Amino acid sequence: MIKTKTWIIIFGSLLALCAGLSLWIFLKPTGGNVANVYLDGKCVHSVDLSAVTESYEFTVSSDRGMNVIRVEKGYISVVDADCPDKVCIHSGRISDSAAPICCLPHRLVIKIEKEMKAGDDVPDAVSK
Amino acid sequence: MKKIRSTFLIVQAILLVFCCFLPGGCGRSEKEKIEKYSSVVFAMDTVMEITVYGDEVSLKKAENLIKDLEEKFSVTLEESDIYRLNSEGSASVSEDSYELLNKGKEICERTGGVLDLTVYPIVRAWGFTTGEYRVPGEDEIGELLKKVDYRQITLGDEGLVTIPEGVMADLGSVAKGYTGDRLMELFRDCGITSALINLGGNVQALGTKPDGSLWKVAIADPGGGEGYAGVVAMEGKAVITSGAYERFFEENGHTYHHIIDTSTGCPAESGFVSVTVIGEEGVLCDGLSTSLFAMGPEKAFEFWRESNDFEAVFITSDDRIFVTEGTEGSFTPLGRYKNVKPEVLRHDQN
Repeated sequence: MIKTKTWIIIFGSLLALCAGLSLWIFLKPTGGNVANVYLDGKCVHSVDLSAVTESYEFTVSSDRGMNVIRVEKGYISVVDADCPDKVCIHSGRISDSAAPICCLPHRLVIKIEKEMKAGDDVPDAVSK
Repeated sequence: MKKIRSTFLIVQAILLVFCCFLPGGCGRSEKEKIEKYSSVVFAMDTVMEITVYGDEVSLKKAENLIKDLEEKFSVTLEESDIYRLNSEGSASVSEDSYELLNKGKEICERTGGVLDLTVYPIVRAWGFTTGEYRVPGEDEIGELLKKVDYRQITLGDEGLVTIPEGVMADLGSVAKGYTGDRLMELFRDCGITSALINLGGNVQALGTKPDGSLWKVAIADPGGGEGYAGVVAMEGKAVITSGAYERFFEENGHTYHHIIDTSTGCPAESGFVSVTVIGEEGVLCDGLSTSLFAMGPEKAFEFWRESNDFEAVFITSDDRIFVTEGTEGSFTPLGRYKNVKPEVLRHDQN
């Protein structure tokens, strides 16, 4: 009988662990596939790569120079830049947080992260 | 032993259920995503962006509505209601044109003629309609001013509108606002609860964003460029800005912009560089943003105090920002205005 109780305790706690795990998976924020573009440490652009349906390009420029960034479903890359070394272009496209794209001459970093870092700064529309 | 084994089996079965079904099930039952549909329409001499959540069909209807309204309101399209009215002196117009002429006249009346639907000949004389800018002579302006009087537009029965010879009606100052109102109505009828439109800088929203948060509408930096003077958080409102920075030209070291003071026939020298009007009704916000700009601070603030159907953000040429009390807290200065503390206008102060 003691043995049965031990088993019940073991599996009971396992059960609790599983339930906890399920709950955590259920409640954790979805996504985790957001690309944040940083210029001089400040996030200037955020895009949810999983929500991209059609690929597009946009330019990030500062007084140091410009980088043309291409966004595809699940991927982000630098396709053109006026920096001297072109390391950013040669980094190719990234889809995870393993290796961010860096353009040192322009102090540009593209990182894949869990949250939109520029979300609050980007207005929905401009009234003019 | 049998008992132990059976208990063991039961626990295992429950474990299976929890470990396999629950996480898997949750992973798949992601919150139902509301699809976003956007479209860009070129109409009324400007670029219009429409975004609706949840219903693609309504987007097509919206495009058709815009085209339809443009064909009614245009001053230059030969088949339009307004063109026929101006060229023939009288015309039987569509319900929309009648309604807008009526609304427009009400706003003209309310602003004491600061807004005037018949200012077109003067705007044209300055070249703001074509881009061939020039400074008209005093005599020329004097002659044209005689023809500026919105009260000359007579709204008769059964959609019949008349106008004296030489007077020209133009709905440019209110047409986009009205179009915004009609689009909101259309979306509501389609059962949509979340939409945002930007009709060439006239922003109007239905409800909140799909996640329930407020829309953030930036106000363009009146100094030009890509920066913002600030951002307004709102739901279900029109946010319409008038500024001296959009259409202007320079001659002999003087800058002339496109907002005409209807009392002088010349660009308004009001002391404002940007006026944003925020309210439920797009057509009112559209008409008032231009009028309040032309009025200048003193009159515009007084006008707001006597009203209760809109809020506003004013930026003066000496870089001060005034916000009406209903906007307090929802407006945040940005960019080069970041450190400017908005001065709050209240209804009960003088």
